[in-house]
Amino acid sequence: MNPKLDLLYRLADDQLILGHRNSEWNGLGPILEEDIAFSSMAQDKLGHSLQLYMLLHELGEAEPDTVAFTRNTPQFHCCQLTELPIGEYDFSLMRHFLFDHAELLRFEALADSSYEPLALVARKVKGELKYHVLHANTWVKRLGTATEEAIERMQAALEFTLPYALGIFETTEAEPEIISSGLFIGEVELQRRWEASISKVLAQTSLVLPDLRLLTPVTGGRHGQHTEHLQPLLDEMAEVFRLDPTADW
Amino acid sequence: MYGSASTHDIPNQATTGLENEDPILLAEFEAHIARGEKIEPTDWMPQLYRKQLTRMIEQHAHSEIIGSLPEGTWITRAPGFRRKMAQMAKVQDEVGHAQLLYSAAETLGKTREQMLSDLINGKSKYSNVFNYPTPTWADSNVISWLIDAGAIVNQMANAKGSYGPYCRALDRICAEEAFHLKYGHDAVVHLATGTPIQRRMMQEALNRWWPAIMTFFGPSDKMSTHTEILMRWKVKMATNDACRQQFLDMYVPKIWEIGLTLPDANLHKNEDGVWEFSEPDWEDFKRVINGDGPCNAERIAVRRAAEENGAWVRRAMQQPQARYVRPLA
Amino acid sequence: MLFSLDPRISRLELPDSALPPPDKAALDQFPTYEVFHQRKENTAYVYVGPVHAPEADVAFLFGKEQFSRRFPCTGMWVVLTSAIKVTEYGDDQQSVYDRLPLLPADEIGTADASGLESYDIFHLKKRGKAHAHVGQVSAASPEAALQAAKASFGDQRPVVNVWVVRSADLLRSDDDDRDMWTTTPDKKYREAISYKVQDRIDRFKQEG
Ligand SMILES: [Fe+2]
Ligand SMILES: [Fe+2]
Ligand SMILES: [Fe+2]
Repeated sequence: MNPKLDLLYRLADDQLILGHRNSEWNGLGPILEEDIAFSSMAQDKLGHSLQLYMLLHELGEAEPDTVAFTRNTPQFHCCQLTELPIGEYDFSLMRHFLFDHAELLRFEALADSSYEPLALVARKVKGELKYHVLHANTWVKRLGTATEEAIERMQAALEFTLPYALGIFETTEAEPEIISSGLFIGEVELQRRWEASISKVLAQTSLVLPDLRLLTPVTGGRHGQHTEHLQPLLDEMAEVFRLDPTADW
Repeated sequence: MYGSASTHDIPNQATTGLENEDPILLAEFEAHIARGEKIEPTDWMPQLYRKQLTRMIEQHAHSEIIGSLPEGTWITRAPGFRRKMAQMAKVQDEVGHAQLLYSAAETLGKTREQMLSDLINGKSKYSNVFNYPTPTWADSNVISWLIDAGAIVNQMANAKGSYGPYCRALDRICAEEAFHLKYGHDAVVHLATGTPIQRRMMQEALNRWWPAIMTFFGPSDKMSTHTEILMRWKVKMATNDACRQQFLDMYVPKIWEIGLTLPDANLHKNEDGVWEFSEPDWEDFKRVINGDGPCNAERIAVRRAAEENGAWVRRAMQQPQARYVRPLA
Repeated sequence: MLFSLDPRISRLELPDSALPPPDKAALDQFPTYEVFHQRKENTAYVYVGPVHAPEADVAFLFGKEQFSRRFPCTGMWVVLTSAIKVTEYGDDQQSVYDRLPLLPADEIGTADASGLESYDIFHLKKRGKAHAHVGQVSAASPEAALQAAKASFGDQRPVVNVWVVRSADLLRSDDDDRDMWTTTPDKKYREAISYKVQDRIDRFKQEG
């Protein structure tokens, strides 16, 4: 695949699917104020994905609604981390923490992308992502130093989520060209920065970061291989839209 | 919102308790209101005022948080980016409204713990319309447009009431309701003027919701001493009938102009400019508000589950040295 | 298991009938923090409302999305409710400073600045409106700060109510955090003005 398309689809699908998942908490969160904050961040993710699908549209791909609401599992390039069900709040927070650290670093790097329209989007959302990471860090630090119950839950969530989180950095065949053309710094470098960044926060908690080299990353998502959770998610998301994809809803 | 009227909850005890209040303080309190000044939390106020406002604001808050559920039903299925993001933002706003209103009620002395306990233990009421289901996307749109429209009629009136914290919350809420109303209208218009599938879906949803909408403002007020006092104190700002008439006047033409019909052959505006309609089934209304509606059990079960699933988070975040005082304003 | 029309709810796998939960313990909802925001550079911080939060940093996270997710914002302050000293409320035409009992000079604070601390002062100009920041004073206690506020800001009127906050108790957003709000005005899908449907209605009526 064309390296621009390859990169954009991965980014956009991640944002869409995780934004969709996180929106499931709306109205069901642990406290009213957090419910509101978490919804805002889910909306931001939808907003990011829309902007990225618009870039794809400018490059000749279909309309954002068509791309988002009519493709099926094999055509999606999100990492499997994003498609897992929301579980309990420990998992959803941990996913938010691990994903958004990578997201912030990714967009910081993309601000210097040789592909100017993408760099523009990245520069614009920087402040938004700063809030997301501030939110994630605050919660992880608080819960990761709180009651025994909370620390145990967060530790279990961390250990469960990490292999999926490593799947964020799965590369595709386009990777060498993505790097050489200056589109993006590449997943290896991103992962290096991410490890430093999450380690720094986790070090301020009672949580223990396992040795990442001993973990097997859960990959496949970037190549259209997904968990059994994605297709039902897509069917649900498009239930109304697919009643008549040509209608104006 | 969804306001006091929709639970029609004015106390009907024989006494107002006013004979036990200090006449000088009472006169001062009434003078504030007569001058158009707002009452603030630490001002002296009659027991009846505190009690009725607490109940009204609390029920309003419950209506927001419960009211987020029927539209939340479609949050993962909204068709297309524009609707998906707006549906999320709207449901979020309703949760936000609950937060604002619980805070306003807290300034009167009831804690949020107590209010949430009363809600999940079935001791409090909320707007009855949310005990009905939203089987299709169009049902959600009917709520976004017409239930919110009804809510706005109520809220605009209440925003001119006498209690400062409630007014501040309502000013903020009304500003957001403008988005809800336009979004809901936009979604309904798209369906009503769309494909045959969309139009049918819309008309069926409207038919389902119309009886509930007609009960939204509650039965005609019984004029009692209580009602009179609460109106003088600017707690109750408009009669249920006046609100209903205003709503019909503003929205029935907008419903008709997009080719939708309403399932009430008697609905029309008479020569005097008053809307006439078939009397809603108030017996059914009472049955549902007292717990026997299609979704009462689910609504409470969901709130309970949300509270219980989040309990470990709140336990973990608590600070041992924390101390609660009422919010200030 | 509870089947719901809402797929999210069905996934919660709730029992058909649950026992009523126990009443909530005290502080289950945390204490409250009062939130102030600044809508534009170089304008006063204005009170927007309370949030329930376990700590100031969490209150900031909560306050930002509850009170500044629409409209431009350039900064936010939060303070624990119990850390605010509140005067009584006056009438709309008066100044509560007029009712302030005079403190003996030695309680207002000594000329020696070592025991002095900075306090932030907020005024309510009209009942039903919101408190706005008017400035800072140095004083040895909240009571003394109120006296100092009277000296500095007492000529403003009406002043219906005054809040006094030890400056150190206010958590303030950093100047370089301002970019957290840069995209807020772009989120047009949350605004009423993005929904314009009259053309479609007119077209429908013409065709009809
Ligand atoms: Fe994010
Ligand atoms: Fe609302
Ligand atoms: Fe609303």
